[in-house]
Amino acid sequence: MIAGLALAIGVIVGLVLRPTVPHWIEPYLPIAVVAALDAVFGGIRARLDGIFDSKVFVVSFVSNVVVAGLIVFLGDKLGVGGQLSTAVVVVLGIRIFGNAAAIRRHVFRA
Amino acid sequence: MTSRRTTLPTDLLVDLVTNTADPGYAAAAARRGPDAPPRWYDRPAVVLGCLLVGFTLAIAYVHTHRSAPAAAKVHGDLVARVKAAQASGNALEAEAQRLGNQINQARAKALPGTSLGNELQRSQLLAGDTPAVGPGLRVQLGNPHQPTGTAGNGRPGTTPISGAQLLTDRDVRSVVNELWHDGAEAMSVNGVRLTPTSAIRFAGEAVLVDFAPITSPYTIDAIGDSDVLVTSFADSDVASRYHTLASAEGISFSWSEQHKLHLAGTAAVAPQYARPTGTTGSR
Repeated sequence: MIAGLALAIGVIVGLVLRPTVPHWIEPYLPIAVVAALDAVFGGIRARLDGIFDSKVFVVSFVSNVVVAGLIVFLGDKLGVGGQLSTAVVVVLGIRIFGNAAAIRRHVFRA
Repeated sequence: MTSRRTTLPTDLLVDLVTNTADPGYAAAAARRGPDAPPRWYDRPAVVLGCLLVGFTLAIAYVHTHRSAPAAAKVHGDLVARVKAAQASGNALEAEAQRLGNQINQARAKALPGTSLGNELQRSQLLAGDTPAVGPGLRVQLGNPHQPTGTAGNGRPGTTPISGAQLLTDRDVRSVVNELWHDGAEAMSVNGVRLTPTSAIRFAGEAVLVDFAPITSPYTIDAIGDSDVLVTSFADSDVASRYHTLASAEGISFSWSEQHKLHLAGTAAVAPQYARPTGTTGSR
């Protein structure tokens, strides 16, 4: 409940402030979005499994963003940034789908 | 040992797909045991995390939707500027034509029936300065139809060789030169009047006639003695060459005698005067 409220407040703050994204962050924005979605779905699934842990939630989100960003940054420096960015999106995307399927099984029992 | 190594990546992939839960949650739950008391930072941490997540999503949304309209706006501005420039260019040309007609009328009044007036009229006609009406010949030359279903035939953005532009400025130029040779007095290509100083050139995929880009099919109107034009043109090497090309390469090529052709005058002729450069040998 409070999590959903905080999520909505975060979205509203972002929409109201409309911060300008610095140029050097731009390539990492898609990565951050996918990592955020992964954290959300992972958190919901853990909640439904009854093993939700706030510390794991926050740390996994932040570290996912940071690590994915580092991987892509390193790839950019070595000339494979685009491919590594795709790899990060694919891996996190698979996780999102798997978690969404687990949530679906919990909610609909199907 | 080796077989184990070869299966390892596959195991990783299967694990990736089947075991999507973050192992951190399970580990934390196992460490704390069941029915652990809530800690003081549980709620703030969740709030902070959700705030961050929502903020990230909102930033991404705003960023995506702010940059896309900006690019579209720049594009729209450029298109509008080009269109405005074209419109004002057309208006100026029409104005120049109108004024030129006034001048011609005034001059015709001032010089009625004199040999000087006739000579001037003839010069203006040859220079493409005045509109011309009369019988003549219309030649049409077109690229072969582009095959539409070229999917899978090369990457997008590349033009297959077969669909490349077969006709270039040289083709248009050779037809035009042949028609001048056959006795045409005034000519236009796709509505652009040719003058003695006209140039037919090639830039990228477009043929330029006096810097006005035209595209296939090319319609060349020539005013002159239509009987002479038709017979001479039908006998020419140029006509037989394009007949051969039409059957071999699929270009369209045809000509027809016209009883009345209207060719617009062009306002783009700026007379250039030759000047004697003093006595020869002096510097």
